[in-house]
Amino acid sequence: MDSAVDTPASPAGTQVAGKPAKPTLPAVRQGGELPTVLSNRYRIERLLGVGGMGAVYRARDLLREQYGDPDPYVALKTLNEEFAEYPDANALLYSEFALTSRLRHSNVIRFYAFNVDRVSQRAFMTMEMLKGPTLDQLISERTEGLNWHELQQIAIPLLEALHASHSVGVLHGDIKPSNVILTADGLRLFDYGLGQPVQGLLPGLPRLSRKRIAAWTPRYAALELLEGGPLTEAADLYAVAVILYELSSGHHPYSRLTAKQAKCMDQGGTLNKPENLPSNCWPALKAALAFDEEQRNTTVAQLLACFSFKPTSLLQRLFGHAG
Amino acid sequence: MEVLQSCWRSAARTDRGKVRERNEDSVLDQPERGVWLVADGMGGHQNGALASRLIVEEIAELELGGNLDQQVRRVRQALHVVNRRLGHEVTVTADQPDAVMGSTVVALLGNQERAVCLWAGDSRCYLWRNQRLYQLSRDHSLMQQLIHEEQVDPLEAARHPAANALTRAVGAHERLVLDILEFSVQPGDTLLLCSDGLYQSVSTGILSHALGLISPEAAVEYLFSHALSGPARDNISAVVMRR
Repeated sequence: MDSAVDTPASPAGTQVAGKPAKPTLPAVRQGGELPTVLSNRYRIERLLGVGGMGAVYRARDLLREQYGDPDPYVALKTLNEEFAEYPDANALLYSEFALTSRLRHSNVIRFYAFNVDRVSQRAFMTMEMLKGPTLDQLISERTEGLNWHELQQIAIPLLEALHASHSVGVLHGDIKPSNVILTADGLRLFDYGLGQPVQGLLPGLPRLSRKRIAAWTPRYAALELLEGGPLTEAADLYAVAVILYELSSGHHPYSRLTAKQAKCMDQGGTLNKPENLPSNCWPALKAALAFDEEQRNTTVAQLLACFSFKPTSLLQRLFGHAG
Repeated sequence: MEVLQSCWRSAARTDRGKVRERNEDSVLDQPERGVWLVADGMGGHQNGALASRLIVEEIAELELGGNLDQQVRRVRQALHVVNRRLGHEVTVTADQPDAVMGSTVVALLGNQERAVCLWAGDSRCYLWRNQRLYQLSRDHSLMQQLIHEEQVDPLEAARHPAANALTRAVGAHERLVLDILEFSVQPGDTLLLCSDGLYQSVSTGILSHALGLISPEAAVEYLFSHALSGPARDNISAVVMRR
């Protein structure tokens, strides 16, 4: 089976001539069922979510429980069996961990550790356990769309999380409503499984090769990704704009079509401003929803500035001050 | 509420069978809450197993509360969310853009007087009452559609190359349509939820005999001893409840 990752430097487990051998991690693992307890520490309790490449479980951290932690739960991610069979699958998961552990933002999920279970040779990573509705649940419940105040409460932290990721050179690659959760202490953006560092960041790490494994969520993927192009900030911008439009209007901007289908049907020309959206936000949101990357002439920062706008009241406008 | 629902006794089992590499069925058996479920997953690699597991674990921890009608509403809502998760919210890869991740579902919610069965796909619900066996659910399969909507002769419909193809399942379509059947329960009523692996491998005579046995545990044991004595080409799952 072909390798799924590009390895610009030495991959884990390979000795480079002239250098001492590094301790090697077993790079190949056999497919098979996930053990109930990983690394003698994490007891798998339930499945939380599935994707094209990985699955996330709720696990009880037995060590933390032993020390009396009242909330010893973590989210635990492993690769699906078909990907776990790739020769450097563990390195692939590690690259996600390495990439995302650079992120520090209150609206981005917190990552704890990367591990390999010695018995099953299965790699996994642990993250904070998040509880609350995801945006796809919210969208399906609020078919009339959110009002401006409600939308701002989601749009601002979401755009801030994405902006913070891009600022440290981390691209998400799979932004969609089910990857954004509303917890009791705020919004979190999660699942950087298709994430990429921008060129030049983390040069020694293996990275997902989009030539060999291209993956996306059809309704949120920018046209260039569907056509095999590289992941850029502009693709994340398109995806987040689709979510913001959906939240505001209650429906997908392009009738739930992929960007490719919608472009063929010339749906870009008939895109209307959601009723609940203030007019000053529309030009930036509309630009972010452009099918062609070069037409998407706005940025996450500009979108954030628009959505942070507080409309002044009639009194404020009449008397010329903010009150 | 717990006292009321403790009037139900139940037993459940799921088995990989003799041929399949993995078990893609999942079962839920919660007599204390009055909730039972069988899900039969479909899809390549472990997709089917993950899909059915996601359904069962989502319902297992769902806050039900309220009366039976509210409980049914919550379960339906949860299944619609899973439908979205397994359908258009799922990440796909370029080499398998149409990879399926879905599952049938048949669930039963019951209190002392009433029970509600909801389903999508070809997993079934049977009722054993007064020495008679009734099939409460109707399969969402092409064969059933040909027979009931296009009046095709059952033997001819069974010969259709895609006779067993499902017309409904969680994760299969944009909108999930669940069939719902509500009925009053009588003391001694025995219900069976099962995957096609079970009802394809035993006769209705065996089903009737099993459900007439002294306890749900005995019924499950009898059903599996018969199903596993045959070729057992599919995964086999059953939940038996008695009021």
